[in-house]
Amino acid sequence: MSGQSSSGSALPADEVGIEIRDVSHHYGGRNGQGGVTALDHINLQIRPNEFHALLGPSGCGKSTLLYLIGGFIPVQSGTIATARGTVTGPGPERGIVFQNFALFPWKTVLQNALYGLEKLGLPKKEREERARHFIDLVHLTGFENAYPSQLSGGMQQRAAIARTLAVDPEILLMDEPFGALDAQTRRVMQEELRAIFERTRKTVVFVTHDVQEAVFLADRISIMSARPGRIQHVLDVAVDRSGGDEVMKRPEFVEIGEHIWGLVRDQAIAATRGAH
Amino acid sequence: MTRSASPSLPAARTTGRTAPGPDAPVAGIWRGVYRRLTGDAMIQILVIAVLLIGWETVTRLGLVHPFLLPRLSAVLERIFNNMLAGKVFTDLGLTLYRAATGFLIGTAIAIPLGVLMARNTAVRWFFDPLISIGFPMPKISFLPIFILWFGIFDTSKIVMIAFSCFFPVVSATYSGTLGVDKWVIWSARSFGATPNQVLREVVLPMALPQILTGIQIAVPVGLITTVVTEMLMGGPGIGGSMIAAGRFADSVGVFAGIVEIALLGAVVVKGVERLRAYLLRWHHEARH
Repeated sequence: MSGQSSSGSALPADEVGIEIRDVSHHYGGRNGQGGVTALDHINLQIRPNEFHALLGPSGCGKSTLLYLIGGFIPVQSGTIATARGTVTGPGPERGIVFQNFALFPWKTVLQNALYGLEKLGLPKKEREERARHFIDLVHLTGFENAYPSQLSGGMQQRAAIARTLAVDPEILLMDEPFGALDAQTRRVMQEELRAIFERTRKTVVFVTHDVQEAVFLADRISIMSARPGRIQHVLDVAVDRSGGDEVMKRPEFVEIGEHIWGLVRDQAIAATRGAH
Repeated sequence: MTRSASPSLPAARTTGRTAPGPDAPVAGIWRGVYRRLTGDAMIQILVIAVLLIGWETVTRLGLVHPFLLPRLSAVLERIFNNMLAGKVFTDLGLTLYRAATGFLIGTAIAIPLGVLMARNTAVRWFFDPLISIGFPMPKISFLPIFILWFGIFDTSKIVMIAFSCFFPVVSATYSGTLGVDKWVIWSARSFGATPNQVLREVVLPMALPQILTGIQIAVPVGLITTVVTEMLMGGPGIGGSMIAAGRFADSVGVFAGIVEIALLGAVVVKGVERLRAYLLRWHHEARH
């Protein structure tokens, strides 16, 4: 299949990774005075081809960090670098999936998947093949000509994932992608995402506030503190994942989940108290 | 690479399909016709029919003096005779030409300016107060000055119409463009779209529902302005003919004008509704 063969990136896989060095970010105020400190001296190395979760309470700046990596907002202090060099703006090698899908609503599923491929300037036949391949990968075959408004939330997010994967990014940034979905759909999507990850092996940065989700999906988890956002712990989730859904019931998973919840709990409480 | 036997698509397979499938052609059409006949359209036609029958009955029974309210049949006869003489078509044609030209000029200025206002602070600072003052004011009060500037023929009328149509469209475009959320724009940028491509390929389509709403306000406003300018300035056109008929105490002629302009308005407004439904066929509102 074309998608599989072309999923090798331009660079050797083991050079890709994300280096976040001493990154701080402020909202509002002038010259760092006043306003809100969203991120406070973040240092983090995200390994090539790992599934990395940024876990923390709402408002801890984890989405801000993701947007900085994506290049959507300018880095104020510190540096963020990938194998392609320092991040200065968005680029197709860093694909992003948002919580609210952010599909182009006037385009069909197929046209959405084609958008990035057109920007890459691929020949028409190859664009079509790749778009269809990734639509198939997220199980949307048969819905190529549906508009996003005709699809359920889960299907819209599948379409958004296909659109992003189609351009074959080295890094996949995911901003609480399943946060808007119902519990059952979320569960299925998590399994499928992990399966897609096993097959395509990209560097994934996954923002979530859901401990279970982070434990189920990620190889490593960075736990962030309530505002101002700092990295408090970086944990390895070194467990055997074979067996899909059943994995979550295994004692080692439950144990890691409990451990992380213990670490996150105080921050979550701090966040709710500090919010007002 | 083998794909897992049956793709697990929970619930979505059934709930997600709202587009007419290939299995529903003939029955669907008839259901549509039936709904049309029994639904809103039927009620609308019925109400209008009752009104028209009431009109004819009241006048035939001599309950109203024919000078105040002539018979519907007399009005229709007049319209028919005017059609044979070609007067209906020159009047309607002229009115429509002025309305359409003015509307197109107004819109052609309003849409780019609305986009510019949303994207450029200096442009916004300059035009925002002007539009805030201009939007609620009766634009027709500019007619005397437009007549002085542009003469008593079509130019001043068309400028007046363009001026009236401009305001609803510019403010709808401005707020529509401003309201496009950043996620969709970021998505496009992450695929490598340039700022110009983002504007053309993302911002304008996203703002289209609001821009069309502005246009749907501007169209009747344009028609009203056309008829009013024609009435005030005289000459051929529906408004002018109606004023002329009024001067000669020809109430049948006045009512003929009213019926013609009502039909023209209904056709144009329905047409714009159809255009909207077509352009926004991807939108939630297209599926009720």
